[in-house]
Amino acid sequence: MPPHVHVHPDGTSLRDPSRLFYQSDYIRRLIIASYWLFIIAAIPLWWHITSIERLSLPTARVHAQAANHLRFPVQIQLENVQDPSISTSLQKLLDDRIHKSQGLDVQVRHQNDPANPIDSYVVRAAEGVPSANERHLTHPVRPATLSKLADLLTLLLVPPTDAHRVAQYSPRYRLAFTLLNEDAAAGGAISGWDISGAISRHLSPLLTPLSVLHNFTIESQVQFHAPLAFSPTSLHDGSSYGLTPEDLTVFVNSAEWSLSSSVSNDPVLHFIVFVPSASRRPLKILDSNGLPSSSNAFLLPQWGGIVIYNPPSVESELQQDTNANAPLPPSALHALFSTFATQLLSLLGVPNLPPDISIASASTSTTQKIPSDLQTTDALTGWQLDALLRRRTSENAKGAYDTLQSIVKLVDQIENMPVGEDVRGDVLDSLSALEELYTPSLPLPSTLHHSSTALTLASRAFFSPKMLALLYFPAEHKYAVYSPLFASATIPLAAAAIREVVAWRKQRTEAVGVQ
Amino acid sequence: MRTLRFLWVLGLLPPCYCRYFSGETFSEELVIRPLPDGKVASRFEFTTLLHGATPRNPQNLSVEDHSQHYTLFPLALGQILREYAVTELHLTLNAGKWNYDRWGYPEESDVATGASLWAWMAEGSGSASAANARHRVDARWRDLRNALAGLFCASIASLDEQRTTSPGRAFTPVGALPAWPASVQHAFRHASLPSENVCTENLTPFLKLLPCKSLSGLAHLLNPHRLFDADWHGMGLHVSWRPNEGVQVRLTFQSVSDPLRAGGNSRDWSLRLLFDRVVDRACPVAASSRIIVTLPTKELYSVHPEPSSVVDGRGAFDLSDQSFPLDLRLRWAEPFQHATVPSAEAPLSVRRMLRGSAQDHGALAISITNPDSDPVSVVYLETLPWIVYLYLSTLELSVGGVRRPDLLQDISYIAPVPHGRAATLEAFLSLPARSTVTLHIGVGRSFLRYTEHPPDAQRGWDLPGAVVALLPAASGNQSSATDSTNKGAMQEMKKWNQPQRIYTPALLVDPATPDFSMPYNVIIFTCSLIAFIFGSVFNGLTRRFVVLKSPE
Repeated sequence: MPPHVHVHPDGTSLRDPSRLFYQSDYIRRLIIASYWLFIIAAIPLWWHITSIERLSLPTARVHAQAANHLRFPVQIQLENVQDPSISTSLQKLLDDRIHKSQGLDVQVRHQNDPANPIDSYVVRAAEGVPSANERHLTHPVRPATLSKLADLLTLLLVPPTDAHRVAQYSPRYRLAFTLLNEDAAAGGAISGWDISGAISRHLSPLLTPLSVLHNFTIESQVQFHAPLAFSPTSLHDGSSYGLTPEDLTVFVNSAEWSLSSSVSNDPVLHFIVFVPSASRRPLKILDSNGLPSSSNAFLLPQWGGIVIYNPPSVESELQQDTNANAPLPPSALHALFSTFATQLLSLLGVPNLPPDISIASASTSTTQKIPSDLQTTDALTGWQLDALLRRRTSENAKGAYDTLQSIVKLVDQIENMPVGEDVRGDVLDSLSALEELYTPSLPLPSTLHHSSTALTLASRAFFSPKMLALLYFPAEHKYAVYSPLFASATIPLAAAAIREVVAWRKQRTEAVGVQ
Repeated sequence: MRTLRFLWVLGLLPPCYCRYFSGETFSEELVIRPLPDGKVASRFEFTTLLHGATPRNPQNLSVEDHSQHYTLFPLALGQILREYAVTELHLTLNAGKWNYDRWGYPEESDVATGASLWAWMAEGSGSASAANARHRVDARWRDLRNALAGLFCASIASLDEQRTTSPGRAFTPVGALPAWPASVQHAFRHASLPSENVCTENLTPFLKLLPCKSLSGLAHLLNPHRLFDADWHGMGLHVSWRPNEGVQVRLTFQSVSDPLRAGGNSRDWSLRLLFDRVVDRACPVAASSRIIVTLPTKELYSVHPEPSSVVDGRGAFDLSDQSFPLDLRLRWAEPFQHATVPSAEAPLSVRRMLRGSAQDHGALAISITNPDSDPVSVVYLETLPWIVYLYLSTLELSVGGVRRPDLLQDISYIAPVPHGRAATLEAFLSLPARSTVTLHIGVGRSFLRYTEHPPDAQRGWDLPGAVVALLPAASGNQSSATDSTNKGAMQEMKKWNQPQRIYTPALLVDPATPDFSMPYNVIIFTCSLIAFIFGSVFNGLTRRFVVLKSPE
């Protein structure tokens, strides 16, 4: 019974005029409590609709990848070798040379060993010049030559590479061939080339084995005005011009030469034939001492290759009009594309064969010594291709792992960064591709395929534009907008609650005092 | 040994010279025409023909395309055409208003203000899988816009779905559409952006598509300082397929310059005066390269050098016959007299206005005058962004105040979808001889969402101009061209003579624009109000009343 209601002896309630009949502490407290209950009940909803979607990433699985190391089992079978001790000593020599960190498990076996045929290489003992084809190496195998053989095998299995020169791995490359005439209107320019023929003769034999690693889109164009952004220096003899090493770094005039492509994001490898204008011939490349070098080609690391082609001077009595533009003669085309083939191989990271090895053509068993600048026009050996596959695979696996780790770290560090379903999906798919990589006895091409999938997905997740969505919209802005509402509404609420609690305690102490 | 050497030299000789060039031909032409009001119209045309090429069939988009090897054809453009399997493509970037009444018809008929892009593309493989979604016409149309925007540094990418229409009659393919199997239908897409400003950054990529860039040949005359100073200028890219020839790319540049501005009351012009440059060498790869000058017929004049040939009052200068540097000069004996009445050369005169000062409604009025003694039938096309919608019931057609609803036939109207699709109104209109037909239609203006306003919202929106397409006189009724019965194995090769299109200038519509500081004001105001109401109600509910005894 409320304290201010008194009961009349005849049963009707009596009112105390010093207290207000319509006011009840109980109802007032109920009202204040219901406000607070509403606010507390609404907080989860508010939290839900204003929070950023951050799905959890498989952090532990990413970190667990650090323990994994790629191992490539490599078997070397010895043919025509009678002495069984040779294989053990070769094994020992190879173990010294190839460190475990390079991920190769080399096993030397005798022929006819019932072993699985994956990645097995055959060393055939024979006297004469060492030669290689496919996965065979013909080399004298005697105790005296063993250390030389081990050196050679090391070079074949783990070739040295120039990481700065090699273009980054991509499942598809665009090969853009461009014939640039500096100034065709000045005469003596090259008006065309038999590009399809040259590609099928010089590049297709290389691109077919390389299709295990990459797909290629090939395109070509001819330009008739391609001015340089600088003037080549005139040489002392007065009749020729030179490009200093500094000039080579600014040689590509991307503002004037329309080389860029607007339809795809595939990396482009450019191959440029530059024909200097008639007034600047011959144009030569100078070495650091300012002397003309014998080479007429240079390579821009990860970008492409450039060959400077000086058309022969027009003394030939057969050519009537000295200023006529003519197509590229087949002999020059042959030389150009041999250079392009070499440049392509070094941009793609295909290792060269050690210099003292010749290629044995696969069809006939006769070996022939091929000059090293022409050897690439022959098909690639399995040694080279496998070494490249192993290198690309481990690079990709490392790249994918690094990218995944960066994603996890970044998401961990920046709390406003959203992680959506697609980013999470890409990370998970990349991880499972990475994990599949370590299944034993996988053929090399499919390891590469897994590693490339892992890398592609990891980079796609890393560069996902959705991860930036709320990054630049900090929580302070939200509070700035809400505070006019929240501040003015919560202050009376809090004040009323505090006042009520104080009043209630006072009442209780009074009640205790009365009792 | 000697014979061997001889054979080697044979390889260098012209036989192979021809072989490389047989695949592609490039030719250039400059047409200069003095206009009746003393100005000079010039039109550059650069044509590259890729012999024997066919457009890519979009059904094969998932199959690896063959390698692209070009000598004269622009590779950057070839990539776009192959990647998105475009059969026919037209892009125009024009600045200013072509004055049909004073200048007559332009050499290149597409002179819509700003950027316009239209293309024919076949439907890709129809399955709805995610990989093929990018092969659908609309996806490729979007990618094409983005690629061209990148290539030409223009805001073509903003020609989005809200501006894309597919009118069926005013535009017909210039070339032919390949006869692929019956399931492959060609779709037409058109979009225009009248507020696009055309300037040097668009000309530079345009010049890069030419084999001789702007360094030799006629393209050397394309001097941005002069061209963008002209009274009117515009560039165009037209790709079409000719069944027996191949894929043709035509790059055009038109301008109207004013020699009278140079001082003196003389309309004498020379290449140096018009372009501030002369042709100092020929493009070495052009199969033909010529300048055609329309010579005066009534007045005395002198031209230097002498034209190689004169046909129909047009002198042709073949660059292979001329000595360099070449500076053409045309002089009149008499000084120029401004005509009091502009001599109307165009058979039609079109005016279009937006009336009404209210922010939510108005009226569109078009008057078309046919001064000819024969009736003319035209296709009238309006493509309006959804911010303006037409009340078709209020459409009124009158000639000299008399209502003539019979003149308008076969109306097709695609209603706009707010925030989604543009409206298309297309109709056949017969214009009686020597009369002015007035078309009047009520329009409503939509309210835009806060974020839909352009950055310069107070300026208003540009409405693309209407298109009045004169049907070729020979093919009297259009229905034969659109007849679906004769779509046999080979779709009928469309006639070369295109419907002559007349573009009206863009209109500026001023939709209701809000005060853009509004959201913040609204937030603050609403918060204060809610806080006030909340405070009062809460106080009223929880106030503790106390009775005080007043001292007697």
